[in-house]
Amino acid sequence: MKTIKQISIFLENQHGKLGDILTALKNENIEIQAASVADTTEFGILRLITSDQTKAARLLSEKGNLVNINEVMAIQVESNTSAFADAIDTLTEGGVTISYLYTFHKDGKLVLIIRPASLEKAEQVAVKAGLTLIQGWE
Amino acid sequence: MESKFWNEEIETMPRKQLEQLQVERLKKTVEIAMGSKFYAPKFKELGITPESIKSVEDIRKFPFTTKNDLRATYPFGIASCSLDKVVRLHSSSGTTGNPTVILHTKKDLDEWADAMARSMYCIGLRSTDIIQNTSGYGMFTGGLGIQYAAERLGALTVPAGAGNSKRHVKFITDFGTTALHCIPSYATRLAAAFEEEGINPRETTVKTLIIGAEPHSEAQRKRIEEIWGAKAYNNFGMSEMCGPGVAIECQEQNGMHIWEDNYIVEILDPETLEPVPEGEIGELVLTTLNREAMPLFRYRTRDLTRIIPGDCPCGRTHKRLDRFQGRSDDMMIIKGVNTYPIQIEKILMQFPELASDYLITIETIGDNDEMTVEAELKEATDDFAMLQNLTKEITRRLKDEILLTPKVKLVGKGVIPQSDGKAKRVVDLRQNH
Repeated sequence: MKTIKQISIFLENQHGKLGDILTALKNENIEIQAASVADTTEFGILRLITSDQTKAARLLSEKGNLVNINEVMAIQVESNTSAFADAIDTLTEGGVTISYLYTFHKDGKLVLIIRPASLEKAEQVAVKAGLTLIQGWE
Repeated sequence: MESKFWNEEIETMPRKQLEQLQVERLKKTVEIAMGSKFYAPKFKELGITPESIKSVEDIRKFPFTTKNDLRATYPFGIASCSLDKVVRLHSSSGTTGNPTVILHTKKDLDEWADAMARSMYCIGLRSTDIIQNTSGYGMFTGGLGIQYAAERLGALTVPAGAGNSKRHVKFITDFGTTALHCIPSYATRLAAAFEEEGINPRETTVKTLIIGAEPHSEAQRKRIEEIWGAKAYNNFGMSEMCGPGVAIECQEQNGMHIWEDNYIVEILDPETLEPVPEGEIGELVLTTLNREAMPLFRYRTRDLTRIIPGDCPCGRTHKRLDRFQGRSDDMMIIKGVNTYPIQIEKILMQFPELASDYLITIETIGDNDEMTVEAELKEATDDFAMLQNLTKEITRRLKDEILLTPKVKLVGKGVIPQSDGKAKRVVDLRQNH
């Protein structure tokens, strides 16, 4: 499967929690490439793509955080809205349901991190449409 | 063939004979307590003498004794004998007033060790076992009480003491410990310490856990048994009665046999102080029958429980106490509804997504009492909707149980505060409490 690893950290609504996580990563020279927070008033989930996912997950887990590693799809497109829109249209037309999405820039390109309802199906649709999928880089 | 019983005659004594023994011992205890400055005037006033006692029911003529009485007479005011005969004392921490002090003669210590050894034998422990004690050795009876009993049983006894999980892990691994004495919340924490070392607790030599001193639900026991791949037996003791060794579950794991040769058991309505109908929940009230230094009559334990009706298949005739339903002091009255922490715990334990720690906070918001339940999540997930639904479902199930809607907060590991290894369950921030 052409996917990349994402780490999700459970955040209780506690002052200073996010800062602690970032400091821990900084001290180990782990670079954050993309971050996204989903939250309610009571808790949140911090999703991260870093320069070393395995190390980041182990480190944060050792610091007492609840950490989950899962696979997400990373689609690389040209860095403009038109390319972004085309990619989403392609997936939508192919019947892919998106649970969440966030983006970041890398090497002058736009990278879409997508968690579809079904990874298999999304991959099929993306490959068929000739979209560039990034695989397992760390 | 090896006997099933530590003391077959006593443990299987027919009820009528057991009650006769209780009457004899109550008479003897009254005689001893005539030497107490605290009890002697009360007995005189009520006309209680050894001769006045004809049946176990006569216990209802006796005055009650409370923790406040122990505090007010601190340190030696209830003693029934001179300090010359006393060889040890144990004391509570006294965080909420004068500490309470309990005195023991040589015979008291001997009877106590024997009762707890009987309890250990009852759950299948033998002299071939290696018993490791995780209780603190000091004023707390869980340390020395277990030590003397396990030695009496003839088992190799490891006085490892409280805290330092890494050291416990090492001792268990190196010594081949077969049985642990611990509070239920520590059983889970110690299991986590094994996992941190890359050892599955199920792979250890531990086959039996004696758990007690902290209220816990059947679900929590099952979880402990599952993590450890061992049997966990509920043990009841309190320093006022001696310490551990008052009651224990047998291998049927259906109620704790309370050693009635040592205690008269009453279950009373905490408001009216009248006996509740058999099998119903009330406050456990105990009278010591086999103690010299400081016998206590009708001691109000504040523990809520009931007697399980019927005979136990194990053959022991001593009554069985059900799992404690909290303490009459722990009762939280929120918006006029009586609630016990154990009700909340029972619900939380039904969710496999949750770990064992939780914290209930009650505060006044506006004119209302509001309850927040923080529950520890076992593992992280990327599934946001699942966590939202979990929060909703926990809220709904709690509402069904306690009839008010708490605010449920999921928290990660280590957020819920621990004090002295004993989990704090309730924080009441209301002004009038």
